[in-house]
Amino acid sequence: MRVVTGVVGNDVHVVANRLIEISLKERGFDVYNLGVNTYLEEFLDALIETDAELLLISSLNGEAEGWCRNLKALKSKYNFRSNPLFVIGGNLGVGEMDPDALIPKFKAYGFDLVYHQKDLNESLDEVEEVLKQRIEV
Amino acid sequence: MSIFQREREIITRNEFVDNFDFIEIEEFIKSADKNLFISHHFKYSNKMLVQPRGGFPTYEKVFKLYEEFLQAGVDVLPLTIDSNTRLNDYATAGKMLALSEEDDVDMLNGYPLINHGYRTTRKMMTHFNKPVSLRHGTPDARLLVEMALASGIFEIEGGPITYLLPYSKNFPLDKAFLYWKYVEKLCALYSTYNEPINRESFGPLSATLQPPVIVIVIQLIEMLLSLEEGVKSFSVSFSQSGSMIQDIVTANVLMKMAHRYATEFGYGDADIHLVYHQWMGAFPYNKEYSDALITASTVIASMVKADKIITKTRNEAFGIPTKEANARAVASVQYTLKTLKGLPVVKDEEEEEHLETMVKDIMEAVFNDSADTLWRKVFNSIKNGIIEIPFSPHIINANEVITARDPDGNIRIYERGKLPISDRCFEYEKSQIKIEKGSSVVEKIIKDIGIML
Repeated sequence: MRVVTGVVGNDVHVVANRLIEISLKERGFDVYNLGVNTYLEEFLDALIETDAELLLISSLNGEAEGWCRNLKALKSKYNFRSNPLFVIGGNLGVGEMDPDALIPKFKAYGFDLVYHQKDLNESLDEVEEVLKQRIEV
Repeated sequence: MSIFQREREIITRNEFVDNFDFIEIEEFIKSADKNLFISHHFKYSNKMLVQPRGGFPTYEKVFKLYEEFLQAGVDVLPLTIDSNTRLNDYATAGKMLALSEEDDVDMLNGYPLINHGYRTTRKMMTHFNKPVSLRHGTPDARLLVEMALASGIFEIEGGPITYLLPYSKNFPLDKAFLYWKYVEKLCALYSTYNEPINRESFGPLSATLQPPVIVIVIQLIEMLLSLEEGVKSFSVSFSQSGSMIQDIVTANVLMKMAHRYATEFGYGDADIHLVYHQWMGAFPYNKEYSDALITASTVIASMVKADKIITKTRNEAFGIPTKEANARAVASVQYTLKTLKGLPVVKDEEEEEHLETMVKDIMEAVFNDSADTLWRKVFNSIKNGIIEIPFSPHIINANEVITARDPDGNIRIYERGKLPISDRCFEYEKSQIKIEKGSSVVEKIIKDIGIML
């Protein structure tokens, strides 16, 4: 299973990015890590290049909100062969935000799964479960 | 006119620089007070020099910060440069400086030296008459260092590897080597005018579970790149690892090999110093705990016989400290140093030998690269993963090495990637790491990163 991952926007939180890469490799994924400071377009280009089944964007300081607003419009311009699962996780809010409002907001942007301040391993367990179901269907 | 001088004229002539007067600057450095040179203090001081971090956008705020530091008994003053200047964006730095001056709000995270210029900055440096250390993080620091030396700042931190791989995603590494070559040449030239200009490498790297072998290799390489251009005073550095014995072993091996390689390459006349950074990882939110960590770290700095210590503050977890909190840390470190008398000599010869073997293995692999110059050999070695920095954001970094702590807190290598260390050394390293049953490597690493929280 292939996965494209990285940190969106002007964000250099490299430690979390590297830990996600190690976790995904431990779980047997082929990981294409675009690293920190990555634009949304670069993620989508990488999905086309790699035919990855999973896109996993991470964000740590609330950068994601501004950068992911256009995801839906952008997605419609691409023709994905792999029907990838769009996942975002990390600390998605800026300052004191209502966490309950965040998840529907990011789902409306075009993400299938959204994790805000959730444990990395538990979240990845869930992502793997959803991927498995998709393949069975 | 030499090619170097021609390059200098191009670098120092742009819309942000007000008439760079080479002859006047040469005269200034020739007649500058010895107290401005940290290399002079290294020679004659019989105590560990204490240096905080710090820098503000406006001249007035830096001036007040320095006054506060002086009262606290500082030995070396810092000048931290803002991040726009680090990226050579002097236009934005200028705009933000103007806003900071108008509204008394800090719109920059440091001092925009290019916009202030050397004539203004020099007034402050000569007024305080203390050695000043330039702290930045700039891959292309040519103009910045010209400006710093002309201002009377005679210690320059950084290097092509240590100021690039931990900070940047895609600034080209080969360019960084060439830009730093300019900096070394300039420091070497100015070292002939008066006391030597001191260059200092930045050993903390990404400050996250850095294995000593990588820190030492990179310190040795940046030292050699500097000495080969004619620099005569150089500081190698590293930061608190989390294990006192590992810090002692690192310091002993680092200094021993620095002297050995310097002599072997024909630079035995250069002075080499050791700098210790207090804990560079995540600090606790409890300020009393932070004070305790700073004190413990001062003890370790004494045990490793550092020539200079770079301090942190109790506000570390909360962002840029106030000048009062910063000065308080300086006073407290000075006091701790005063209380530390009659320290025991501690050694672990087996660990030293093990570390030395790994350092030699990597250095040999670098020297054996087929390129014709040292910087090209190093460039190829980084490209090939013979050298890599754990947790670097840079695209050239191999990202294969994984490290974790052993039960004593020593940082060990769990995956060696393409590091050319022997199977015997690697097996020893890996066997020291104990991962609890049912726990993943990542969970272990997260715990190991946050040991001081």
